[in-house]
Amino acid sequence: MTRVVTGFMEQHPADSHLYETYVAAGGYDAARMALSKTRDELVEIVKESGLIGRGGALFSTGMKWSFLAPARPAYLVVNGDESEPGTFKDRQLLERDPHQLIEGVIIAAVANEVHEAFIYIRGEYPKPARRVQQAVEDAYRHGLLGKGIMGSGYDLDVTVHLGAGAYICGEETALLNSLEGKRGEPRLKPPYFPAAKGLYMLPTIVNNVETIANLPHIIDKGADWYRSISQSADTGTFLASVSGHVKKPGNYEIVHGITWRELIFDIAGGIRDDNQLKAWIPGGASAPWFVPELHLDDPITKDDCAAAGSMLGSGAVIVMDHTTNVVAAAERLVRFFAEESCGQCTPCREGTTWLDMILQRMLSGAGRSVDLELLHDVSDGISVGLAWPPKQTTICPLGPSAVSAVKSLLEHFREEAEAHVAAARQVPVSIGEGAA
Amino acid sequence: MSWSAETLDRATALISKYPDKRSAIMPLLYLAMKEDGYLTDEGMVRVAELTGVTPAQVQAVATFYVMYKREPQGRYLISVCTSISCFLMGADEVLEAIEQAAGVPAGESDGELAVEHAECIGACGGAPACLVNYELIEGITPEQGVELVAWLRNGNPDMINTDELQTLFGGRTSFDWAIREDNGAIGPYPAFPPLGTAADNGSALEPGRAS
Amino acid sequence: MSERVKITVDGTTHEVDGGELLIKAAEDNGTYIPRFCWHPRMNPVGMCRMCLVEVEGPRGTMLVPACTTPVNDGMVVHTESPVAKKAQEDVLEFLLINHPLDCPVCDKGGECPLQDQTMSHGPGESRFVEEKRHFEKPIPISDLVLLDRERCILCARCTRFSDEISGDPLIEFQERGNNTQVLTFPDEPFASYFSGNTVQICPVGALTATAYRFRARPWDLRAVGSTCMHCTVGESITVQSSQNEILRFLGVDNDATNHGWLSDKCRFGFEYINSAERLETPQIRGESGALVPATWAEALQAVAAGIGGVIERDGGGAVAALGGARGTNEEAYALAKFMRVAIGSNHLDAQMDDGLDPQFLAALAGRGTIDDLERAKTILVWGPDLKEELGTLYLRVRRAAQELGATLIVVHPRATGLDDRASHKFTYKPGTGPDVLRRLVAGVEQYAPARAALNEGPVVAIVGRTGYSEDPRLAEAVAAFVRDLPDASVLPVVRRGNTYGALDMGVAPSLLPGRVRVGSDAFDEWSAPDEMGKDAAGILNGLLEGTVKAVFLVGADPVADVPGGNAADALDAAEFVVSIDTFINESNRHADVVFPALAATEKEGTVTNLEGRVQKVNRVVPGPGQAREDWSILDDVATVLERPIHLASAEAIMKEIAAVAPAYRGITWDLVTWDNPDGVVVPIEGSTPLEYVPVDAGLESREVPLALHTARTMYDDGVLMRHGLSLHTLAPGAAAYMTRADATGLGVAEGSTVSVNDHELPVVFDDTLAPGTLYVPFNQPGSPNVGDHLGVRLKVMG
Ligand SMILES: Cc1cc2nc3c(=O)[nH]c(=O)nc-3n(C[C@H](O)[C@H](O)[C@H](O)COP(=O)(O)O)c2cc1C
Ligand code: SF4
Ligand code: FES
Repeated sequence: MTRVVTGFMEQHPADSHLYETYVAAGGYDAARMALSKTRDELVEIVKESGLIGRGGALFSTGMKWSFLAPARPAYLVVNGDESEPGTFKDRQLLERDPHQLIEGVIIAAVANEVHEAFIYIRGEYPKPARRVQQAVEDAYRHGLLGKGIMGSGYDLDVTVHLGAGAYICGEETALLNSLEGKRGEPRLKPPYFPAAKGLYMLPTIVNNVETIANLPHIIDKGADWYRSISQSADTGTFLASVSGHVKKPGNYEIVHGITWRELIFDIAGGIRDDNQLKAWIPGGASAPWFVPELHLDDPITKDDCAAAGSMLGSGAVIVMDHTTNVVAAAERLVRFFAEESCGQCTPCREGTTWLDMILQRMLSGAGRSVDLELLHDVSDGISVGLAWPPKQTTICPLGPSAVSAVKSLLEHFREEAEAHVAAARQVPVSIGEGAA
Repeated sequence: MSWSAETLDRATALISKYPDKRSAIMPLLYLAMKEDGYLTDEGMVRVAELTGVTPAQVQAVATFYVMYKREPQGRYLISVCTSISCFLMGADEVLEAIEQAAGVPAGESDGELAVEHAECIGACGGAPACLVNYELIEGITPEQGVELVAWLRNGNPDMINTDELQTLFGGRTSFDWAIREDNGAIGPYPAFPPLGTAADNGSALEPGRAS
Repeated sequence: MSERVKITVDGTTHEVDGGELLIKAAEDNGTYIPRFCWHPRMNPVGMCRMCLVEVEGPRGTMLVPACTTPVNDGMVVHTESPVAKKAQEDVLEFLLINHPLDCPVCDKGGECPLQDQTMSHGPGESRFVEEKRHFEKPIPISDLVLLDRERCILCARCTRFSDEISGDPLIEFQERGNNTQVLTFPDEPFASYFSGNTVQICPVGALTATAYRFRARPWDLRAVGSTCMHCTVGESITVQSSQNEILRFLGVDNDATNHGWLSDKCRFGFEYINSAERLETPQIRGESGALVPATWAEALQAVAAGIGGVIERDGGGAVAALGGARGTNEEAYALAKFMRVAIGSNHLDAQMDDGLDPQFLAALAGRGTIDDLERAKTILVWGPDLKEELGTLYLRVRRAAQELGATLIVVHPRATGLDDRASHKFTYKPGTGPDVLRRLVAGVEQYAPARAALNEGPVVAIVGRTGYSEDPRLAEAVAAFVRDLPDASVLPVVRRGNTYGALDMGVAPSLLPGRVRVGSDAFDEWSAPDEMGKDAAGILNGLLEGTVKAVFLVGADPVADVPGGNAADALDAAEFVVSIDTFINESNRHADVVFPALAATEKEGTVTNLEGRVQKVNRVVPGPGQAREDWSILDDVATVLERPIHLASAEAIMKEIAAVAPAYRGITWDLVTWDNPDGVVVPIEGSTPLEYVPVDAGLESREVPLALHTARTMYDDGVLMRHGLSLHTLAPGAAAYMTRADATGLGVAEGSTVSVNDHELPVVFDDTLAPGTLYVPFNQPGSPNVGDHLGVRLKVMG
């Protein structure tokens, strides 16, 4: 099976992180090639390659680059905040192959006429951050970064910036606020699209770690090669982080278009203890769940996931077997978003917490028959009609993401949820606390 | 409680890495934590002075991020992930075992050791997982959690290193870690040389912005 | 101006400005979209989500926040569609789940947007049965403001105001998500001169003012629109009273002056009006030598005897008047007429301390308006620290520099409130101003970039005295330079009350009503002396020399207000002193007769601000005891002196002014009440007879070893401050500020005592001062008057 971003680390398990190893294997040649090309040429190649962002939004990288406003200075920001529950792919790329990332950064910088880049790595990733920092220092030492890189006239500075524990900083505009030394609150889009008004209100490209890691290979082997890897509309490969109740959890670099059955049962070794597969989350905690009856043989592509009412997102696949208490699972997912809400938007700040309170009450045995309906209505106030993609009442998609679990619970496991409130000891709950 | 000359130099160097000094607030807050062991009001005032904003503005930033601790944590902070993948693999039991063994309920510290629950730490493939001073252990069991606490209490290690932890208390990993490294944490904050927060801070500061 | 576009709101089509925010465009056309976080004077944040409406788009209708969505041509909006309504109801339900609903004990109850919108758009009763969020109930975040975080709906209006508008971000969001709360930093209170605005714009009862807390319920309040008389900006206000007691000043939004904002001094400064120490009856000096209450007849007779005697013996020229800047234009006119017609003297001066030429202030050719700042490309502030002396003008300059991107140049002897927004700041030692000006004009050295910026019009220059030790002619020289720049306008500034109105009415030794120079025949109503009279300093010296024998103090407290420092002796030397005032103060306690005067909000009339804008002030409460308006007191005095001035009513006086005072032709109360609620800049008909062109007197710099800088602070020991409960504790206090270096040179430590011109003061280090400068804040509680001489006599005490 074709390996793009994990190939090198596979071949050099012992020292894939070292500058020497990377260069010996032809590393930074693609960056050199990029320096000899124009912005338009590079943007065109990346467009051609069909590369789509791996941070979750799955937007064409070439397109995004072409939207970059002309004003300069402009900035490049690598999004290494990887905090979407279920996702751990960027961590492996940062830790095992940091030079691949830096080479990608050089290419993206040159392609966008950017001379200053920031690599934002979540604070809980000190080891990956240390590896990248070491690689950055080596790159400076060998003239791959700094003034006149690789003997060209091109200056490029790269700074590694450590986050400090806030999922929302993965959202690109929140990340930019964070990088500006502010609270990680998402900005309004419009008008603050990074490509137009990004870091310090200047044009900024934000790309995910995996997205950037693909660039050296695309420049090196060409757009056609990249397209040819997959039969589906989604080109190239992607890193699937498989976790939960499978025999062999892990990161798997796979080609778009294989089925969920293949991924979960063949590649990830099937369900632990040969239990029944109950449900899985296809694209990170934000995504509505899939269930075997409906989705097991769907091909894994952006469009197929969307058509089925969910998303491929960050490629995080979270598998639940039949022993799973789905109400508890839903509560755990909702709690995450409630705790990670930045707090700007009323529906997200109040609604996600309310949802979690209701679910916790249900779990504690104090559920009421009206609670399922209430769950639905509160969700509706955050994400109209519980639709996917969401009709959000909020600034960013975090709030609506909390609704995905509730929606999935009510849609696929209503009986189980009802059983939960029915079975509940009817503990009287003080009405009136909040009565208006 | 003013900062050492060495720390101030580091602060200046960090500030110089950004086009706007306000951007240095986050790294400087880590610096402040290293100085005092946790984030004190004095530390925030310092950061405010160095970045040209008000202490209230610094506090607004500091309180937004969970890794800036405004209460003393002690020497070791154990953060057990309880998000979905770890939850599915029994994280709650691991947390409970660690709370019991440490005699410290989540969210508190006994002055030496602090325990907390954490949201997803990006170790879902090696669930359940936890961090000690932000150094990772994957595939930890409740039993190993108990041993970890004992090891910290009795051994009082000066440095916490993820590869050592993993060999002693870890199990299945998210991916093949392959390469060991020996740098590590010296307190309840991430070990990152440019911040001077690691056991070995190397050359770290250089090179910087070609401004 | 942006082009017009068509939008359809709930079925009706309107033409609006392209790019305007939907929430505003809809409101201007009669559709009110509910909102909490949006405020027309601040950048939108789209946080509360209350303003969600449906907009038709290519991919079906979309829910968008009206407060962050600019209109575009053909936009079709539904604010009442089921989806929009549902979204709004949901937001309200969300906001209420953690709201304490303690409306019955909340100051905001009855005027609370949350309460109102719950009535109009809210769901029935809450389905929230969980535990509410709890916070410690109201905590004081400053001497003036209390914060109740349980009521807060996190609209970020207060935090944005203090960051974007007033530039002192001392309250901020803390924590995140469901724990988000507004808070100050420990031991760092919300000590902002403008904190009261956050109370006014808070959409719930989270921020309340200690001064108003529990004082009244909105439905008991009587509200009257008026103009603030504290400073020369002339902010539009609403004055609220209950049972004839003033309870609250609120800012009223207008483009011309204050954008709705007030400084805390304006907002809370009214408390003196309700003071129990207000004068309620006339007082005369009894046998005991002390002032005793008297009837009006007795008091008037005493004046007739005293003043009449002086006039008979020494002529009208031996009688002078100080003051007139605290009253209305009508009262100032009465004083001017009284002095000219009844007394026959030009010795009168409304300017107590600023020392600037009245012609420069009242009749400067090429004077600008405050709103010019909205269009300014470059702004020069060489004068008082606006944050201390003209708070709302400071906010306008700040906005121009911060939000509108104007280049700001500040020249001052120490740090000012605008420095953080200034592109160029020049700090100089008092006395060396002429040199600084010369170098700025030449554009040499560090002045080159600033000089270049001054060629970038439109330029607005705000010019005045930086402090009392500064030669007043410097400000005029600066103005003279600016006038020669392409596309420049000048605002000459002084701070006290209705100074500009008083000067326009002729309360100045060199001016007659309507901006006419004494001696000119542009005004020939009165047979006034043709030669210029004495100014404030001249009058006080005259009293000491005996050339002036008697003086009228009309709302004047020269002992406190004249920096020179000889006022007390001068008043002692006076043969006869008459005072018209609201309180007994340092100056009138030695008067022979004191008449009780009405204060602001107790009388009707007009005032004129620093732009020359005439605005209406209104009567809200009756005033204490037998207190009367200045004009009617002066009319009675004139009558007993048998030189009647025939004044019948304030409104009649305005008619007389409009008839005789050239610059005020056509001004009527109706004009500035109904047709132009923001007032009008005079002249509106014809021109002013006097177009004063400032002159550069070619001053030379003066070097002294240690130069004095003494200037006003927002809070001081002014008599009106002293009688206001909320503010009198906020004055910085008496001290001698000097740089660390100078102090070390003199061998004094911080906190130690030095003697400044024989007055002992504690030393405070201030490295924002120019080297060799000693700063003493003017008129602080317990502070001596150190005078206004440039050179300082400094002794280091043991
Ligand atoms: C709530 C939220 C969290 C996100 N977290 C991440 C993240 O952790 N890492 C990431 O690369 N992108 C994340 N994204 C997507 C980013 O906003 C952005 O689209 C992405 O970094 C763009 O890079 P790409 O085009 O290469 O995918 C998040 C988005 C949202 C709304
Ligand atoms: S949706 Fe939630 S996380 Fe996103 S901006 Fe609004 S409050 Fe913040
Ligand atoms: S008024 Fe529009 S979101 Fe608050």
